[in-house]
Amino acid sequence: MSLRAYVITRIFLTIPMILILLTLVFLVMRVLPGNPVIAMVGMKASPKYIKQLEHQLGLDKPLWLQYVDYLVDLMRGDFGRSMIWGKRIVIQEIMDHFPATLELTIGGFLVSVLLGLLTGMIAGIRSGGKLDASMRIYSIVVYSLFIPLLGMMLQLVFGVWLRALPVGGRIDPGLEPPTVTGLYIVDSILAMRLDSLLSALAHLALPSFTLGLVLSGIYTRLVRSSLMEVLGQDFIRACRARGLSGRIILFRHALKNALIPILTMMGLQFALLLAGAVLTETTFSWPGMGTFLVERITYRDFTTIQGSIVFYALFVALISLVVDIVYAYVDPRIRY
Amino acid sequence: MTGKEWGIVVVLLIIGLIIGYFAAAPSRTATITTTKTAVSTVTVTKTAGVPPPVTTTTQTTVAKKYADTITIGVTDKVSDLDPANAYDFYTWEVFNNIGEGPFKYKPGTTELTNGIIEDYKVENGGKVYILKLRKNLKFADGTPCTAKDLKWAIDRVARIKGDPAWFVLDFVNKTEVVDDYTLKITLKHPVAFYPAVLAVPTYFPIPPNKYPADKISSDNTAGSIGPYKITKWVRDQVLILETNPYYYGEKPKTHRIIIKFYKDATTMRLALESGEIDVAWRTLNPTDISDLKKNPNLQVVEGKGSFIRYIVFNTKIKPFDNKKVRQALAAALDRNAIAQRVFLGTVDPLYSLVPMGMWSHEDVFKEKYGEANLELAKKLLKEAGYSENNKLKVELWYTPSHYGDTEADVAALIKEAWEKTGMVEVTVKSAEWSTYLELTRKGQLPVTLYGWYPDYIDPDDYLYPFLHTSSNRWLGEPYSNPQLDKLLEEAQVALDHNKRAQLYKQVQQILADDSPIVPIFQGKLYVVANKNVHGIVLDPIMLLRYFLLYKEVGG
Repeated sequence: MSLRAYVITRIFLTIPMILILLTLVFLVMRVLPGNPVIAMVGMKASPKYIKQLEHQLGLDKPLWLQYVDYLVDLMRGDFGRSMIWGKRIVIQEIMDHFPATLELTIGGFLVSVLLGLLTGMIAGIRSGGKLDASMRIYSIVVYSLFIPLLGMMLQLVFGVWLRALPVGGRIDPGLEPPTVTGLYIVDSILAMRLDSLLSALAHLALPSFTLGLVLSGIYTRLVRSSLMEVLGQDFIRACRARGLSGRIILFRHALKNALIPILTMMGLQFALLLAGAVLTETTFSWPGMGTFLVERITYRDFTTIQGSIVFYALFVALISLVVDIVYAYVDPRIRY
Repeated sequence: MTGKEWGIVVVLLIIGLIIGYFAAAPSRTATITTTKTAVSTVTVTKTAGVPPPVTTTTQTTVAKKYADTITIGVTDKVSDLDPANAYDFYTWEVFNNIGEGPFKYKPGTTELTNGIIEDYKVENGGKVYILKLRKNLKFADGTPCTAKDLKWAIDRVARIKGDPAWFVLDFVNKTEVVDDYTLKITLKHPVAFYPAVLAVPTYFPIPPNKYPADKISSDNTAGSIGPYKITKWVRDQVLILETNPYYYGEKPKTHRIIIKFYKDATTMRLALESGEIDVAWRTLNPTDISDLKKNPNLQVVEGKGSFIRYIVFNTKIKPFDNKKVRQALAAALDRNAIAQRVFLGTVDPLYSLVPMGMWSHEDVFKEKYGEANLELAKKLLKEAGYSENNKLKVELWYTPSHYGDTEADVAALIKEAWEKTGMVEVTVKSAEWSTYLELTRKGQLPVTLYGWYPDYIDPDDYLYPFLHTSSNRWLGEPYSNPQLDKLLEEAQVALDHNKRAQLYKQVQQILADDSPIVPIFQGKLYVVANKNVHGIVLDPIMLLRYFLLYKEVGG
């Protein structure tokens, strides 16, 4: 199969995946007791007002009709409006929060990969030695760290004691760059605003380090075992026999081969990070999707939850597609 | 370039960035704290309406320097910047700083005073309100505000039918513009507490050229007519207010107020300690408050809140249809244990639904049952047919996050207190907020824990929605008493204050005797701020007035 045919097949496969996901979310949210109207105004509103709101939002229609209505709207690219707080457009709600999560995810991801590669390589090269043992202990210790606790420690040291980095938020008030991508770092560069860029980087430092440190442990172990396996193979021995330097063997031959299984992990991890940064977001008051979605689930904001899930599914599908394409470049043996 | 050279360039770049960051650090903080150096000079003179600063220099006209900016941290959120749909406490606080209605509260009291009106008249036995507006009113963009605009804002609320629309729909029959500065409001029936209703943001005038006539405009920053106007608003991140040059009243001493929104109380506390914010407002954890009291650089300001918590018995579910059972559980309740052990003294035990500090309040539950009165509880349980061998089984429900992380502990202490009688066995169950509300509404939960933030400051708001038969559907209609209905209806229309107080006292006596709802505690308000921040006024209205805050920066 050519790469193009492969990409098209993958895109088509995404459709049933999203449909199944959406149907599940739709049903689960509606089977659970409670609805957005009651969660929002349930205590103080009159039953008449609640009925009227339920009617307005179409919640009094039969379930199948609500489902069909939603699917039809979705096909037209309409994610609908939130059912609570001002009934804002769902896409707008997502766009308000998603860039923050993406920025944090990229930051955390980069930290975790860098730390993981470094520690994993040290452990892999020095396997069996003291450094290997220390790196293995490192991987277990950091992986078992509790994010809010680690976050608070860092906030205390760098925020309160040293006063070097901010403890929460995305940027200093008033320094927000004009929105282009929603990613403050990118937008600051586009707007050529050094003060905004430095402020955004300073705000990103602690949360991404917290998230990245905890997740780096997985990479340490993966890189270590993958590297050890590659280093034991015949072609490495052949390289050595030819008299190539250790550095060239490691960087040009061993690491390139050892990274293939790690790439799969990176793709999965990135998707997981997007959804799983809730604790980091809460600890650092990071205005991202995680805390936003948890709040909306509590309030049964059906349309926003559904919209966010579809959005996430599309994004994750896109990432896994990109990872698959990158494979071909890393390992020319791979064909689709 | 070789790989090595590239490596050197990258390392140098990183070092450069780090040095650059730290070199720029003062200017980074400057955006928040430029104010610590950039100052404005204001002459402090005594003015009516706003309490004078705490200093005694108010009468001697001494020039003082005030910081330009104060940064406040909150864990709340602004839900909807349209008064026709805003119906939560924090958003109302913002509106009370950027807007004003016909009436407002004198800071530090629950006393109403004229807001955007100069004067008013009540006619036709309390059915007609004639409001005389001030003549120099202007919106934040400089356009004049007249009676026509106020009528437009009130009619718009009724037209849009948003969440707080009942403040207009339940009371107002029609609004008429008499002249540019006079608005006549005719009510459906006399309402004794209507001036308190006229103080809620739902009645704030908004500029008709900035708000759509029949649609909610949730992210609108046009504001209203108050001491501040909104200059920046990034949802869930930051709200920046600056003084409104067209405000008719005294100009605030602090030009800019920055509100930073936190998701976690502990992060907000750390932000205060690190100097990122000057004031930590709603809502710090009880443990953080008691910790911060020990910090010599900070001040902890305490005030009475009007937020109350209570237990609801559904009297339609057995055995809670038995008055003696409810009375026994009310008698066994240990409010002090909850206030001290769970909230570390940051709340006060409450013995009536009407909060302490509000007129007509009486400690009816304390008078009737005392506190943690196990002897009385046992006696009542015996009379109801229970014993150590035949225990009363209670299913107690709570919701785990809506009222904060402390809720499970509150439920555990209630269970402990009731089980101390030796004749009660409590099963504690929980449900997430929306489920909890729906099950309660359907009348399926026998004993629940709830809380109440007032809509308007009047005993009516603490009694009518709970005890009047037609009004407590949200609690699953747990209780109905025709005698109480009559008293509550009478108190709603009576215009004589003393008569109303008498009626509410009677209602509270019946409440304690029947015990369908048992009060637990009343919240206190806490603001923790840097020592140099002044003008923090906390009162049962529970709104922080940003326009009273100021920070001295030398003499």
